[in-house]
Amino acid sequence: MAGVGPSTVPSADDDLLLDRVRAGDQQAMAQIFDRYSRMVYSVALRVLADPGHAEDVLQDVFFKVWREPHAFLKGRGPMGAWLAVVARNRAIDALRRRKPSDSVDDVVLVSKTNLAAESQHKSMIEMVRKVMKALPQDQQASMELAYFEGLSHSEIAARTGDPLGTVKTRIRSALITLRKALEA
Amino acid sequence: MTTGGHFEQEDLALYAMHGSTPAEAALVRAHLAECPACQAEFEKISSDLAMVAMSVEQHPLPEGARQRFIDRLADLPAPAAPVEVVPIRSEPPKRSAAIFIPWSIAAVMALVAVLLGLANNSVQHELAKDNYLIAQFAADSQHAQKVLDVLTAPEAQHVVLTAGKAAPVPTARAVYLASRGGLILEASNMGPLPADKTYELWVIPSNGAPSIPAGTFRPDASGNASLVLPDLPVGVQAKAFGVTIERAEGSPTPTLPIIMAGVAPTS
Repeated sequence: MAGVGPSTVPSADDDLLLDRVRAGDQQAMAQIFDRYSRMVYSVALRVLADPGHAEDVLQDVFFKVWREPHAFLKGRGPMGAWLAVVARNRAIDALRRRKPSDSVDDVVLVSKTNLAAESQHKSMIEMVRKVMKALPQDQQASMELAYFEGLSHSEIAARTGDPLGTVKTRIRSALITLRKALEA
Repeated sequence: MTTGGHFEQEDLALYAMHGSTPAEAALVRAHLAECPACQAEFEKISSDLAMVAMSVEQHPLPEGARQRFIDRLADLPAPAAPVEVVPIRSEPPKRSAAIFIPWSIAAVMALVAVLLGLANNSVQHELAKDNYLIAQFAADSQHAQKVLDVLTAPEAQHVVLTAGKAAPVPTARAVYLASRGGLILEASNMGPLPADKTYELWVIPSNGAPSIPAGTFRPDASGNASLVLPDLPVGVQAKAFGVTIERAEGSPTPTLPIIMAGVAPTS
């Protein structure tokens, strides 16, 4: 594994690395870890706000890739995005003390953007950050509670004291804003 | 929850974020399996949300995290046997043709070994794939059983959320899969019935054939009721669904009036 430098840049050869993992290649697994571990850890830390628990999720996610590389199928979207979603779901399960849902089979992602291209990847991430920060405060709060705390609409309504319909409208508006920005 | 037979964007988002209740998730999952439009929208929402996840502020790994992963990785069994191809080094040609005979035999044997190795790897790959599929089927089956348990448990809490202070009205949500004759109905706010009466659900076929009885149900004290996989013929396309009040043992034909009805969306 010497010479494998950490990197967060997605690459078009993810499929090749995964093929090697399927064949039991630990070095390929280490390369996938180096490529995406920081992102996976950051997602888990964002949800759990605890470095120890976030590392548990980190290790768990990558051991899953090693044990079940077939769970990530070609055609299900970019590997980095897939790992981010799995990390978020695992972290939410841990936060809510639920048994890990393990339903990676319903994670299917589409992307018109070539996330494998470093420049497009970085600009896309920057753009999403700006869009999320520019959302009205109430929409930001609703998305925060839904996505990073894993609350249902009714739980958000109970937490904030807002009507359920208002919560749904805020989340819908935030999603529409995000979609417009991503498709622009 | 639905508009024109489709799920709202925020409900699909909730499902994508694993925020739905098991019963809601079962309804969405069943709908997605049958509705390409909602499936496409669900995939778009999932992708949008993935970008939200990827946009979080990046933090360095805790010290030693990589080494801990590598160390533990070394202790785990490989997911599949690696392919190991041994290169064959060639020697300079000798003058006598007889010298090629053992090398030829060795080369043929090496080639056979490589081919056997590849074939072995292919078989192992297929085995790993089959094992994965079996595990998936088992997980799906377990998941389906959990859904049924939740939907049919007498002690399950059914909560209907309404906007503002609107008075709750009797509502029922049916999920129908004609190709399998599968139907799940969840009803809420149903009025109580005399002991000699029952609610009965009807499938109204789109080809004009007589209504098909799809099971009877009585609400609990909270007005909730469910019907899970009643005995129905396979392949009947439904135009609509209706609920009537019948005698306690049910009826082979509906007794008017139809107190609740819903038109099935056309695909």
